[in-house]
Amino acid sequence: MRKGKVMSDLEFETRLDRLFAEPPHFKDAELFARQVEARLERGWSLRRVMIGGAGLVAGLVGVGQMMGAGLFLQAAGSEVTAQTQAMSKAFGEVMNVGGALGALPVSPEVLWMTAALGVMAVGFAITRATQEF
Amino acid sequence: MAQSRAVTGLHDVELAALAAAGDRAAFGELVRRHGSAVRGLLRRMGAQPSTADDIAQDAFLTAFERIAEFRGEGTFAAWVKRIAARLYVRKWRKDSRMTDEVEQDDEGHGGEVSTVSRIDLDEAMKSLSEQERLCVSLCYGAGLSHAEAAETIGAPLGTVKSHVKRGLDKLRLRLAPAEGAGRDAERQGHV
Repeated sequence: MRKGKVMSDLEFETRLDRLFAEPPHFKDAELFARQVEARLERGWSLRRVMIGGAGLVAGLVGVGQMMGAGLFLQAAGSEVTAQTQAMSKAFGEVMNVGGALGALPVSPEVLWMTAALGVMAVGFAITRATQEF
Repeated sequence: MAQSRAVTGLHDVELAALAAAGDRAAFGELVRRHGSAVRGLLRRMGAQPSTADDIAQDAFLTAFERIAEFRGEGTFAAWVKRIAARLYVRKWRKDSRMTDEVEQDDEGHGGEVSTVSRIDLDEAMKSLSEQERLCVSLCYGAGLSHAEAAETIGAPLGTVKSHVKRGLDKLRLRLAPAEGAGRDAERQGHV
């Protein structure tokens, strides 16, 4: 009798597993899938914008740093145009913080690269947070 | 169009691999295949339809984020169901606290059983208390062990086992009432 009860339990649980495994039919299944795809697409678009923005900022910082460090001037040798000088000066003013940072015992290149990486990291963090919440 | 035709013929594991490489069309096919199963599970767990759909969407988005963790050891459906179940439990725990008290809605459903020959699982699940639905769904719908369900819910293992047992007893009555009634009648006839 007890054995029969146990078998019955097993049979019932097997049946229950099977019932749970059968997905119900939803008329709006396709709509649901599209909504998920739309949210995925939205998330990726936002991510692309964030990464693009971070890249743009990093690029600007990099260009500013290179011009501020006079790399362009060195590459051009003695044939430096007044226009390049003006651009260099303008970037130097925009990146005014360079003066204060110059007092640190590391090269300006390292500082600017660190800043660029920091900006990118913040961008990724914001993107991640947007995905999570 | 050709891409959508191409993904429909692939196995879940292949689709997951494509999705891990960033192929959103492949992941969309996985959503089409298993969306209803996940939505159904959440409703059986006790979620309202709109809530169930929201959580199901969140579960799929989470699955896409973590798709690299899916290694094909189990089925994709089971993996997403676990994610969805855990998301729902997290929400459920915010809304209410699980207690060891005997549920108050044990009464009031018993009279219906003898008049109904067979009702489906979704209807039968409605006869369970909130905790019983949750525990039975986690163990049989999402495939969690009792211990995993206890950890997910944040309740003692014994409590979960107790809820599962009571839930199964109720489901057994409601899923096969004709069989039980037949036996009763047979027994009475022999006496």
